[in-house]
Amino acid sequence: MSMAVVHGRARGSRPGEEVPAAVLFLILAAIPLVTSGYVVYILPQYMLYGILAMSLALLWGNVGILSFGQAAFFALGGYALGIAMKQPLGVNPAYVGLLVALAAAALVAGLVGWFLFSAGVRDSYFVLVTLALSIIAEQIAVSQSQWTGGWNGLFLMRMTLTLGSALEYPLYEDIPAYYAVLLVMVVTYTALRGLTRSRFGKILAGIRENESRMTSLGISTSLYKTLAFSVSAAVASLSGALYGMHSGFVSPSLGGVLFSTEIVVWVAIAGRSSLLAALIGGIAVSSISNLMSAITPQYWQLCIGILFIVVIAYFRGGVAAALPSLVERFRSQP
Amino acid sequence: MTETLLRIRGLSKSFGGVIANADVDFELPAGGIASIIGPNGAGKTTFISMVSGHLKPTAGSIEFRGRDVTRLSVEKRARLGISRKFQTPSIFPNLSVWENVELAVLASRRRPRDSVGRIAQVLDLVRLVEFAEYKAVSLSHGQRQWLEIGLLLGNDADLLLLDEPTAGMTAAETHATAELIRRLSRELGLSAVIIEHDIQFIRDLRAPVTVLHLGRVFAQGSFEAISADERVRSIYLGKA
Amino acid sequence: MGSFLGVFMDATLITLVLALAASGLAVVFGLIGVVNMGHGAFLTLGAYFTWAATQAGLPFLLAVLVSALAVGAVGLLLEIALIRHFYDRPFETLLLTWGMFLIITELIKIAFGTDFRNIASPLPGTLSLGDLQIPAYRLVVSLFTILLLLGLGLLLFRTSMGLRVRALVQQQESAALLGLNIALLYRQVFTLGAALAGLAGALISPMLSIDPYIGNVFLVRSFFVVTLGGLGQILGGTVVGSFIIGGSETLFALFSSQVVAQTIVFVLAIVLLRFRPTGLLGSGRR
Repeated sequence: MSMAVVHGRARGSRPGEEVPAAVLFLILAAIPLVTSGYVVYILPQYMLYGILAMSLALLWGNVGILSFGQAAFFALGGYALGIAMKQPLGVNPAYVGLLVALAAAALVAGLVGWFLFSAGVRDSYFVLVTLALSIIAEQIAVSQSQWTGGWNGLFLMRMTLTLGSALEYPLYEDIPAYYAVLLVMVVTYTALRGLTRSRFGKILAGIRENESRMTSLGISTSLYKTLAFSVSAAVASLSGALYGMHSGFVSPSLGGVLFSTEIVVWVAIAGRSSLLAALIGGIAVSSISNLMSAITPQYWQLCIGILFIVVIAYFRGGVAAALPSLVERFRSQP
Repeated sequence: MTETLLRIRGLSKSFGGVIANADVDFELPAGGIASIIGPNGAGKTTFISMVSGHLKPTAGSIEFRGRDVTRLSVEKRARLGISRKFQTPSIFPNLSVWENVELAVLASRRRPRDSVGRIAQVLDLVRLVEFAEYKAVSLSHGQRQWLEIGLLLGNDADLLLLDEPTAGMTAAETHATAELIRRLSRELGLSAVIIEHDIQFIRDLRAPVTVLHLGRVFAQGSFEAISADERVRSIYLGKA
Repeated sequence: MGSFLGVFMDATLITLVLALAASGLAVVFGLIGVVNMGHGAFLTLGAYFTWAATQAGLPFLLAVLVSALAVGAVGLLLEIALIRHFYDRPFETLLLTWGMFLIITELIKIAFGTDFRNIASPLPGTLSLGDLQIPAYRLVVSLFTILLLLGLGLLLFRTSMGLRVRALVQQQESAALLGLNIALLYRQVFTLGAALAGLAGALISPMLSIDPYIGNVFLVRSFFVVTLGGLGQILGGTVVGSFIIGGSETLFALFSSQVVAQTIVFVLAIVLLRFRPTGLLGSGRR
């Protein structure tokens, strides 16, 4: 090996998910053109679940931090937007709501994250705390019923995109809403992918691989972990806000433990190390689940549970990691 | 007049009732190399841990470039240029050799404009260019030691704290390591404090030797003086 | 209940019921460090088995015993099939046992349906203590819990098996050198933990409406009980932890609603965990 290889490295990492991702986006963009009705209505909600799954993949795959609390931030986003849109504000209340959703999630995650990471709380203890956060989120949603509607939940309207007085584009119809969500999904994916390949993302990967070594190289790992947690929370919150806006309804169970663990299951099965896999996993597993629960809810959940165990026990990287080796084995057959 | 890079006065550490280090004085000039030897349990690793910040001393002071760093955290000291190589190599096993050094460079306080060139330069210094694409876990023990030294170099360390860098190395590798360290000191002005057991390696370093025994400085001097010292021989044989 | 004694009694009963629910986890997580997220599912199973047994005509106590043994058997099976391969990987254990919870819960739903079930209290009525009316069944269960914890303590400190477990906990490498069969010890302790969870579910079942998720309420709380009390502190730790998570909620609920009190308790638990990760009575060994 020579300096030629070394300079080859300088051209950037191996081509990864770009092509499959582009294909996915094109397919999704084409769907409203070839079909209509329920699919066009419901798919954006699954895409938002996909974004939620990506938020966990960022934290779990990139930094190695497992959180059972992503649903708490999802619900936070939904409630933030819902409450904001009910206020008489001069500016487009939806924009304010989205901003509040992002900021509140990032702030809460930042405070809680720093509080815990600076004391070295990690692994199972961190999981335990995030579980408690999900419970707390659900309880706050129930108890502060004058804001949240308690168990009855909160109703939201579709938002309107405005640009000063020049543009006023309501998202009441299925198709505009679909493309708005798709756009957010593409932008979020691109941004997160860029993040994981940036210096920040590489350092996070280093923390995952050997945290004490990163500390000895001069990195304040608590700070980086807190920032990653904040970004992940903000993304989850964004998806929750848009979900609330799109589905029209948020309820306390959206922030609870069971939903949080569903997200972990999606990402575990799909593959936590790949943002695209998590995205697809979030979309696919939730949509299939929805389909199956109409037909046979318990047996489907049973299958998911078994698949989950099989993946954890044998395919740590999820489907995304198992796929290349399976393809290889298939190719090498004469 | 060479600047004193490291000045340590009266450094002590006790765990409960056990005294690991007592009253250690130590100095290192900029660009200097020093080795630390002593029988097992003499307090060598504890001493290095206090210099790197992984342990806080119970008494004494550590000055780096005239600045008191006694209570500074590990990462802050690393950002000042104090870097440590551990007894068991602490690297990133699932990343490639290239990515390992890349991380060290990304984490360094003075990020070079041409990071690719820097990584290549470091790999060349530690003779791992051919292994750039290999996963770190597939390296031999000796190569991992070099990789770890490469991490320290990529991280822009000024003071290398090396804990048994030649453990598990062949004689040829050991000799090469001594050459590397002397070259780093000579050409790049780096300083090093090295804990070692290998007599040949310590001789090859041609550097002052400090002998620790029961947590205290037992003797200090050139390699020749120390190896001729009867008392030093006897603490290894257990007569003292 | 306004009187101080009434509140105190309430808090004590709740503390001890939680301690009972957490005892299985105190053994499995506190002693041998297995992050068993299926603990709640074992509790739920114990409740359902008891319901099925009483429906089949078994007297309550016998139903409880059978349920505890049955859940112990389930735990043993799972340990042999799955858990024992992952003792050195706590993260995988966490996720796998969570998968176990998902599967067990779905099997329960398939077998028993999702309607609420109820078991009549075997000891209805209350005991009068001055002005206080203490539910008789709760009182008996609480007393039993104290005996149980004492018994576990005795098991740990006065029997040779307990000695072996303590040796294992303190020094895993040397324990192997001493010829201890580590795999067998882990199996025994895990099975005991499962059986304890089943027992707790069985005993608690008359106090609540049974649905497939009742064990969940106790899952996260049990983990906090064990970690805050101190890993390995079977007797004192479990009680102290249970008071923080259970009893104090009763006290906070005097000043606010139940839900707010629960929230305060969890926030308090997180803060305590951060400052005292080895628990209030812990020795910092883990």
